[in-house]
Amino acid sequence: MIALIFALVAATQADVTTKDVRFYSEGVQCAGRLYLPKGFSADAKLPGVVLAPGWMQTAASIEKFAAIFAARGLVAMAIDYRGWGKSGGYVYLAEPVQHDDRLRFSQHTARVRIRRKRLVPNDQILDIRNAVAYLQGEPGIDRARVGVWGADMAGGHVVVAAATDARIKAAVAQAPIIDGKDVPRKATLRSPELHAAEVRLARSGTPPAPPAQAAAAPAPPDVETRLALADYHPFWYAEQVPVTTAVLFVVADRDTRVDNTNHAMAAAKVMKGPCGVTVVPNTTHAMSTPKAVDAAADAAASWFLKYL
Amino acid sequence: MRPLPLAIVAFVALAAPAAAQIPTDLVEQRRADLQKQSTAPEWKREGGTQPQDWAYTLPEGVSTRQVTFYVDGGFPLYGKLFLPRGFNARTGKWPAVAVGHGINAISIGIEKYAARFAERGLVAMAIDYRSYGFSESEVSLLEADTSTDARATWERDARVRLKRTDLNNFHEVEDFRAAVSFLQGEPGIDAARIGIWGSSNGGSVVIMVASQDARVKAVVSQVAGVGNRPATGPVAIPPAMLDDSIARARTGQGGEADGGFSFRTKIDAWSNQVNREFRPGAVIDRIPESTRILSIIAEHDELIPAAGAPDAAKAFKGTWQVVVVPYLTHFQMYSSTAFEVGSTLAADWFLKYLQ
Repeated sequence: MIALIFALVAATQADVTTKDVRFYSEGVQCAGRLYLPKGFSADAKLPGVVLAPGWMQTAASIEKFAAIFAARGLVAMAIDYRGWGKSGGYVYLAEPVQHDDRLRFSQHTARVRIRRKRLVPNDQILDIRNAVAYLQGEPGIDRARVGVWGADMAGGHVVVAAATDARIKAAVAQAPIIDGKDVPRKATLRSPELHAAEVRLARSGTPPAPPAQAAAAPAPPDVETRLALADYHPFWYAEQVPVTTAVLFVVADRDTRVDNTNHAMAAAKVMKGPCGVTVVPNTTHAMSTPKAVDAAADAAASWFLKYL
Repeated sequence: MRPLPLAIVAFVALAAPAAAQIPTDLVEQRRADLQKQSTAPEWKREGGTQPQDWAYTLPEGVSTRQVTFYVDGGFPLYGKLFLPRGFNARTGKWPAVAVGHGINAISIGIEKYAARFAERGLVAMAIDYRSYGFSESEVSLLEADTSTDARATWERDARVRLKRTDLNNFHEVEDFRAAVSFLQGEPGIDAARIGIWGSSNGGSVVIMVASQDARVKAVVSQVAGVGNRPATGPVAIPPAMLDDSIARARTGQGGEADGGFSFRTKIDAWSNQVNREFRPGAVIDRIPESTRILSIIAEHDELIPAAGAPDAAKAFKGTWQVVVVPYLTHFQMYSSTAFEVGSTLAADWFLKYLQ
């Protein structure tokens, strides 16, 4: 709370303004909030940064960082993933609707099911990439100078995004979880429990039980999430980040949630291009104290200003 | 396209030691008929298959059943099961194969392969990928989404837009994997004996499936060639694609492009970019050696690089056999003698490795 007030005050003092926007990710209406620097106009050509929240988090949890970036002269876009916060959910037809492949687009009234709070890492990465595209088309932004920032699981997401998306010129991964370093790169069978769940999901259209409300400690995820996580190894992409993309890892020195040695530090070692590691002292994974926010945001903003 | 040099054909034998291979005498036995097919005016196939190529007689003893299976959190997909003579869910367990079509094609175009596999004693399921054929459409809201985090699931009537033929190889991989899951849970099917068959674009998709899903014990990839090049970074995005992606993100829909051969429909322009990012040739080493792969390729394939399948097979430490069907072009493979040879060899492969 104090951090939020501090950031808002700082932002106000710097005449940062905000603009709520809608972007589309794979057809789903998603929500983003732009933080615009002092003096921003549609004629400007400013660098932009997409900020992606952590696991089970919404844009609200990262807006303080966006505000600080804007105060430093970057256009910052804090997003909600599909199915979270102010973004729309995943849309499914709840009844069959007649169609014909010869007519690609048609309009109907139909019963739909909207699912929220799904946790699909690859979809979150697409949301980030689609937000980059949105930002590139925003008047006032230089489409050649767009970066991505992600915290927690999104720290891994931005590594994958940087490795697979030529539009991204710089990335900052904060308290990142980047799984996969010691996982053999070979398809393997799932546990019997997960396998049974996978079969059940394919044979029944009923969604599994939703995850619990976001909490400080990771809640036990539903089987759909566990299946998605079992296939998600962001570390495998680290070596594909191009030499032209600059990546900063910002880690908490007292992180008990993730072992930085095997995540951020190990990923940093395989970066081909400009790379940095900033260790924020006296802070844990959440990086929520005002001092930690300041230090982490400062390092990230400086990185983006240098490399975008 | 130049025919395959003998050297490549010979080299390919190393990718599968003799005992691991299936005999290919059938190719020699039918060589004269294959040559006749390649020049016969009625079997000329430039730019696609024809409706007559999709027709077949349901083999004696084989029965069919249409099913629905689900992908990606509840998206319904269409499958058509072909059950062999004597199939009885109460008394036995059969091996099963999921059969998927090529680019912008649909299941009815390749049902006859599933019928042949069932004739040989396999359960086979012909599938439509999402937004194709009899599978459900991509759906987006034409009104505001008023759902909130207060609940995980919301149901209501809404104005929607449906989209068909939304080509996306990453989705096709998931669709195949959902088909495998469905088959594994189907009474009468042995979950430990599952294979997949894909042709043309589907032939690339099945290789990617193999790199991700160890449940698949046998793969047949027809008229495809994924090659073996590592992914060293993002693929380039041409300026027109960049603009299109911005339109997609800011309006919900970008431009369209022509798609498909046998079934001429449009696709999203962006699909071509997405599929450039799809690189099964970069992950051959992720395929477990418990998965056995057969590539069946056409000697004069005008669409697929000749070295694609041999290069991929060479890179694989497990069993990957490549069979070249002489004289024929890409779309000729789906009919007449080439279909007989291709479907027989594929069934031979599945019967050998799903025992």
